[in-house]
Amino acid sequence: MNQTSRLLLAGLAASTAILAGCATDAGVRNPSGVPVTEMRPDERGFVAGTGIESQDLVSVTDRMARSILGIAEISRAQARPYVVLEPVVNNTRFPINKDIFLTRIRTQLNSKAAGRVSFLDREMMRTLERERSLKQSGQVTASSDPNVVEFRGADFFLTGKLDGMTTRTSAGTSDYVLYSFRLTNARTSEIVWEDSAEIKKQGLEDAAYR
Amino acid sequence: MTRFRHFALIMTCTLVLTGCVTESPRRNAANGAGRRQTEADRGAIAGAERERVLFDYRLGVAALRRGDDAEAKARFDDAIARIGGIITNDADAARARSLFSAESTKTFIGEPYERVMAYVYRGILYWRDGQPDNARACFRSAQVIDSDPDKEHYEADYVLLDYLEGLASAKLGADGSDAFERAARHASPNTPLSPYNPQANVLVFAEYGYGPRKYAGGEHGEQLRFYTDESPTRSARLVLDGGKKVVPLPAYDDLGFQASTRGGRVMDHILGNKAHFKSGASMAGDVALVGSVIASDQARRRDRQGKNDNDAERTAIGLGVLGVLSKVASAATHTQADIRQWDNLPQRLSFAALKLPPGSYPGRLEFLDRDGAVLERRTQRVTINVPADDRDTVVFLSELKP
Repeated sequence: MNQTSRLLLAGLAASTAILAGCATDAGVRNPSGVPVTEMRPDERGFVAGTGIESQDLVSVTDRMARSILGIAEISRAQARPYVVLEPVVNNTRFPINKDIFLTRIRTQLNSKAAGRVSFLDREMMRTLERERSLKQSGQVTASSDPNVVEFRGADFFLTGKLDGMTTRTSAGTSDYVLYSFRLTNARTSEIVWEDSAEIKKQGLEDAAYR
Repeated sequence: MTRFRHFALIMTCTLVLTGCVTESPRRNAANGAGRRQTEADRGAIAGAERERVLFDYRLGVAALRRGDDAEAKARFDDAIARIGGIITNDADAARARSLFSAESTKTFIGEPYERVMAYVYRGILYWRDGQPDNARACFRSAQVIDSDPDKEHYEADYVLLDYLEGLASAKLGADGSDAFERAARHASPNTPLSPYNPQANVLVFAEYGYGPRKYAGGEHGEQLRFYTDESPTRSARLVLDGGKKVVPLPAYDDLGFQASTRGGRVMDHILGNKAHFKSGASMAGDVALVGSVIASDQARRRDRQGKNDNDAERTAIGLGVLGVLSKVASAATHTQADIRQWDNLPQRLSFAALKLPPGSYPGRLEFLDRDGAVLERRTQRVTINVPADDRDTVVFLSELKP
């Protein structure tokens, strides 16, 4: 081998070394991350997931509304029952707009129950009481006797709870959320209906963020 | 013939180096309104979008400090919408991992201590809005961010995240004892935690000192490092009722400590590979260029002897081109760690819960040095207004200017 060939060989070796170094992700598993996937709660996932999203809200509230309509206390009630919504308790790690769950259940029931159930607007109580006192004092007109109490009492309270469990490992993050709702008889404190839905998600972020 | 080859070599090098020239993204910034969006405009928008979370962080905490809760909530909600998800298949992130782009080309979400603080501030705002469960959710998310996935077990070690999670649970009628125990385990013996008082209706959050700063270390700036300028303020206290009531506000958490003790990132490994390539390419370029000079010298010597050595000439040219390419590749490799930072964070965090009847409580916030002496010039006048409703009064006190 003459000197020229040796130099050429050295050059080739150097370029090979350069190209070999181009692999900056060498030794990094899943450099692009793994997209978040929704899974059945009983399915064993490759890791864990992320937060409460709109599709979860829709699927959970649809299911709860259908479930409530099927119970005898609502479907076969002699008189139309009056329901008051109580705030949902969030025990997960995801800050959420808690009212949105009950609001969607209420709108679903109102649109699909065809008058079989009524909701009482306790959020408006302060405004309603002020209006009534204005009527009682004669400051505004009244179409009925303002001294007769017409605010209805609740037959049932509907509320819910969101519980969560988080796992975080080098393989990703997993979140399991249990959505449970219940209808409680206001007179007897008996829970007349309860149902739940579970959603588990998992994912692994891009290596640039790990 | 030899002269032609030298000319060809120079032309090749020129072409290669010309390719290194990039268009300035700010070129058309001064153009009038209504014009068509240029490539530079799109670059500027993409750049702003990449740093949106950073601006949300900075503006959010500034708003919180000046009492603009609506703005603070909007900013932190916007940031959390981005940092709360899992970023995958992101073009900017892929670019940040590539050799010829800097890490700072990725969308900024911040290091764990920065993301933790976004959740802490949002949690304070939720609590102020009468939603302790959502506040607790924020503290829990912050704990998850602080945990080190490589250790395969829970490593979150902020004292206040656990303590506040437990307090929120206790106030919601649940059991906060586990969280309290975790907090007590991480707390310094010098700053013992008060047992929970679910009847406490005034929650005082305090922050002081200037937070950690990032800088790039290593031969090629590939290592993300942190430093903290120790603030003279080591502790604080709230003095109410003309000095009759003194509420200690010791430092339970130190963001400088949190930033520098979290352990390595996967991105550090990638940047290390980039730095390795940069050094290797530069060295290979040196070798090739030296080889080119030797081959050229040999060709010239044989030329003088009247012998025509085309092999040596070809080798000199080949190695020369290779050397230049290697040097250019080395120079174009971006190894710098991303040092964009949330630069208006505090260093130390404190908290106290007290029970006060409804009313107005004027007082002062005093900051103390290492020896416990009051730093008079830093003292602030404060007034705590406790309403008659059953909602907790959440007070946020900061040594830092909005």
